[in-house]
This record gives sequence, C-alpha cells and structure tokens, in this order.
Amino acid sequence: MTFAQLVDSLVTTVQVGSLYALMAVGLTLTMAVVKLPNFAHAELITFGAYAALVVSLFVTPNPFIAIGLAFPASALLAWLAHRTVYRPLQRQRASTYVLILSSFAVGLIIRYTLFLFADSFDLFDKRIQIPLAVLLDLGPLRITNIFAWVVPSSIVLVALLSVLLNFTSLGRQMRALADNETMARVIGLPVDRVVDLTWLLVGGMAGVAGALWGFYTFVDPLVGWLILLPVFAAAVLGGMRSFVGTIIGAYVVAFGENTIMLLLNQWFGLDFSFKPAIPFLIIILVLLIRPQGFAGLGRATEGGKA
Amino acid sequence: MSIDPVATLLSLLTTFGIAAMIALSLNLEYGLGGVPNFGKALFVSIGAYTAGVTYTRLMPLLAGQEALTPCGANLGQALQVRTEIIRTLPVVGLTNFFVTLLIAAAIGGLIGYLAAYPALRLKDEWFLGLVLLASSEVVRIVVRGTEPIICAHNGLSGISQPFLWLPTPFLRTAAFTGLTLVAAALCYWFAQRLARSPYGRMLKAMRENSDVATGLGKPMARTRASVMIVGSAMAAMAGVFFVTNVGFASTNDYVVGLTLDIWVMIVLGGLGNMRGALLGAAIITLLDRVTAITAIQLDMLGSQFEFNYVRYILFALILLVMLRYRRQGLLPEPLDTTGAGKLLARRPPPSSAPGEPGKRAAA
Repeated sequence: MTFAQLVDSLVTTVQVGSLYALMAVGLTLTMAVVKLPNFAHAELITFGAYAALVVSLFVTPNPFIAIGLAFPASALLAWLAHRTVYRPLQRQRASTYVLILSSFAVGLIIRYTLFLFADSFDLFDKRIQIPLAVLLDLGPLRITNIFAWVVPSSIVLVALLSVLLNFTSLGRQMRALADNETMARVIGLPVDRVVDLTWLLVGGMAGVAGALWGFYTFVDPLVGWLILLPVFAAAVLGGMRSFVGTIIGAYVVAFGENTIMLLLNQWFGLDFSFKPAIPFLIIILVLLIRPQGFAGLGRATEGGKA
Repeated sequence: MSIDPVATLLSLLTTFGIAAMIALSLNLEYGLGGVPNFGKALFVSIGAYTAGVTYTRLMPLLAGQEALTPCGANLGQALQVRTEIIRTLPVVGLTNFFVTLLIAAAIGGLIGYLAAYPALRLKDEWFLGLVLLASSEVVRIVVRGTEPIICAHNGLSGISQPFLWLPTPFLRTAAFTGLTLVAAALCYWFAQRLARSPYGRMLKAMRENSDVATGLGKPMARTRASVMIVGSAMAAMAGVFFVTNVGFASTNDYVVGLTLDIWVMIVLGGLGNMRGALLGAAIITLLDRVTAITAIQLDMLGSQFEFNYVRYILFALILLVMLRYRRQGLLPEPLDTTGAGKLLARRPPPSSAPGEPGKRAAA
C-alpha cells in the first residue's frame, strides 16, 4: 500500500462521511421526533439528486440553484408522504412494523416512478455537470473542487440544524416531542405543526444531500437505496437519537468503508466486493453489543432510560 | 408472441407453490408469532446455496464419480456432467434432490435459531427486523465474493429439476409442478395444524403481549427460537424448489425485493391466516406473471414504455392500501376454535352484566 492510497482513502472518508452525516441526522430526527424508521429516506435522497440533475441539465448549470431547489423538492415529497401515508397510519395507532412496511412501500413507489421518469428522458447514470478541477495538489493529498463543495456544505447544514435544535423555539419543541410525546401534548405543544416542520426539514436535508451526492457520483434511481443502509448504520451508531453520536457514526461508517476496507484488502487480501458488507456488520454488531451506540457516552444516566 | 397455455399454467402453478411455501413460513413467524423477519430472502437463499454445493459435490459422489470443481476452466464440463447424471440416473438425481431438501432444512433451521437469539438482547422490537435485513445482505455479499459455493458473482447454472430423465418436456415440467404442489400442500397442512395447536396459541400470545405470556410461565425466548427454526427450515426447503425451478443459482435473486414480495403476499392474504397466505401467494404470483407478459407484449409492439417498473409500484400500492384500509387482510385471522375460544366468544359483553362481581365502579 502506498502512502498516497492511504491519504486518498482518508480524503474519501471525510467526503463521504460528511454526506452520510447530512443524510443520517435527518434519519435520526425522524426516528426520534416522529418515531418512524423511514426506509423511504433513501428515495428522498434520490429525489433530491434528480431534482438537482434536472435543474442543472435543463434550466441552469449553476450548482447553487440546483442544490437550492433540491431542498424544497424533497421537503415537499417528505411532507406529502407524511400527510398521505404516515400520519393516517399513526393516527390508527399502527405498530412499528406496519409503519416500516408502509415506508418500504412509499420508497418503492417513489423509486420506480423515478425509474419510469428516467427511462422516458434517458436520465440513467448521469452526472450533475460541473467541471472537475483540482484545487490543491500536495503530492498525495489532492483536494478537488467537488470535495470543496461537498464537505463545507454538509458541515454548514449540519451546524445550522444543530443551532436550530438547540437555540430556537422550534428546536426545543422538536426535542420535547422526541423526549415525551404525551407530555408534549399535555403542555399544549402544537404537535401536528412540529411534525409537519420536522418532515419538511428532514426531506429538505435529504434532498440537498442527494444533490451533493450527485456531484460526487452518478445519479441513478437506485442511488439512495444503495446508500440507505450505510446511513442507517450511522444512525444506529448514534443510538437513533443522539445528534452528535450520529455525526460521529457517519464518519466511522465512511472510515470503515474506505480506510479499513483498504487496510483489509492490503493486509488480508480481502476483495473490494466485500465493501458493502461493512456497514451491515456495523448495524448488526452495534445493535447486539451496544444498542445505544455513541449516545450517552460518559453519562451515567442514559442507561436507565427506556 | 404465442403463449402455450399448458406450459404457462404449469409454470404458474410451480411458482405459486414455491411462493406459498415461503409465505406460509413468514405467516407462521410474523402472522402468528409476531417475529418481524425482514430477512426472508436469506433463508430462501440458504436452499439455493445448499443446492449449489450438493449438485456439484454430493451428486457426483452418489453417481460414483469424482466431486466437481464447478467454477473456472472446467465450468462447461462440470455442467455437462451434472446434467448427464440427472438425465441418465433417476435414482441418483432424486436422492440428491431430497437429501438437498433435508440439508437445507437443517442449515436453515440452525441459522433461524441463531437469528432468533439476538432478539433477547435487542432493546426495541423492530431492531430484530433491521438485524435480519442486514444479515441477509451480509450473507449475500459474502457468498457473492466466495468462489466455492456458487461460483461467486458468476452464479451456477445446471441446478436442474430432478425429472430430466422423463421422456418429454411436458412430463418433466408436470412432474416437478406436482412435486412442488405436494410440498406446498404439506407445508399448508403442517402450518394449519401448528396454528390450531396449543403451540399456535402460545405464538399468538407472544405476538399480542410477550410480557403477559412470560408472566403466565410461557417460555418466550424458546418459543421465538422454535418458530424461527420451523419458519426458516420451511423457507430453506422452498429455496431448493426455487433454485431448481429457475435452474440457476445467483446471489442477485435473493435481495430485499424478494423479502418484500413475500410480505405483500401475507399482508394481502391475511396475517395469521394460513389460507390467506395461499390466497396472497396466488394473487401476487398471478399479478407478477401478468405484468411480466404485458411488459413483453408492449415491448414487442414497439412501445418505449418500460412496464416492468409498474409492477413494483402496483405491489407497493397494494401494500399501502391493505395497511391503511384492511389490515386484517382479505381473509382475516379466524377466531380461535378451541373450547376456550368458543366460551369466550359466547360470553356476553361486560356492559350487559351490570352486577358482575369484580367490575370496578370507575369502569
């Protein structure tokens, strides 16, 4: 293994990890606030990627606008799924399994509608066009403009979300809802409005993540589905409720997929086709050994909560 | 395109039989026991991988030949040897098939037992579903990257039906269809017996409230493990039929999509109702075939519209509509038919018995 390979895998880790973080905080937010393991989160990502792709191909090549429009597109889609499918089911007090199945169904509908759309307009395996440029070349360390787009945007968005959760009224309401829904209703929280806004926020962030992912790789109707389980792994590492834990988890998953995979390949000759198994193994091991993930590390009280 | 009605019917019946076996096994696990098996494809794939190993290692030994190295340079020769054995030595082919079924059931049961164990440690119930989903993908990726089982990502062809020795194609297909339907009928009979037994009632107790059942002294961990063993063994045997029907073992067949199809079947047919599982399997198999034929016909008419995608949207819509408007399925779970169940059903509702002792004033 050359030093350059190692550095390259670390750069990829940061890039992919940032995107995973952006996707996974949304997933964690849905699970914490709405109490729904949303397997259609994948398709919110794909939809954002396609929205950005269509804008950049047919409207304007300006990446700011493409990314900006991906936010409302996926936000509206998430809200629509909530109003038409999830909320009626949750009002019927459907079990978690019913909600999971319905989210699979929602995902399938969006995914194959996108397939039909992509098929009609020949939009498979397309890349959101921005000219690739190397911004910084220090021998093994090469920073491309894609990296410069993806990493700061993800970090800024996650930071903004963190500010929103910690310092605004809406954020406090969302956290209250995540903590104890009954209590939130008792004190007169506008639960429906908070949930609506949560879905818009989650959908929008997934959409932006998808658009950014489209800069980094190809846009395809399966793109979200293929990264859903790594994103789930990150959320699982965050204990499915911790914000910081999820972000750390995202980088851990990306590190495992890139750097650890490279090391395993170099030292034990493990084929790169085993790479997708790494996030799955993380899910299994974390759920079995430490289901709270990174949440509540160093805090004694966390274990006592149900 | 002309469609041969008899061949189509036979192939439909075979597919139905296989789907019914898998749906029945999931209906035992989830419909009765409430175990969310989102890794059904894993247990079906065990049958396929077992067949991949027995068809290349065991069958030549039974025929008195050397075991085959099925992949790489002598791929073609190995395929020819396999086919030749089944064609000329009926006893060997059939013995191999039934031994494969037994081995698949044993491995499936073992893995089902192992998969049930984590549930004891998991904090939230749906985590088991996620763990099973992840496990099914891990196994698929590992098999896809490991040469000896089914030649890694290339897959293994020549996993033939054990009736190649019969003289005409019609007889071969008909015999296999018959065998599949007999197996499905046995599975149905077995599942129905299980559902109506005290064990079946224990499964329902686990589904409704496992804490209460534990309080009544029912061993919930053991029950969950045993239903996973039974369901997984059944699914693995169905997997052997699945792979011999296709004739080709490939890791691409055992994806999450397969698991979801089975879920659509039992949600549509009726959770906890074994006839419902059969009905769901029949409807979904038929719809699958109709959409596939429509897609081919449209394609031949020169249409650019890719109808295959519509199938997935249709199935997802069925799932959503059932979950929203008729969660009990087309055929709801039957009331318990034991004496105790009848007594409970006959008891007058509490409101019509005002002086009932033990009724709280507040109620």
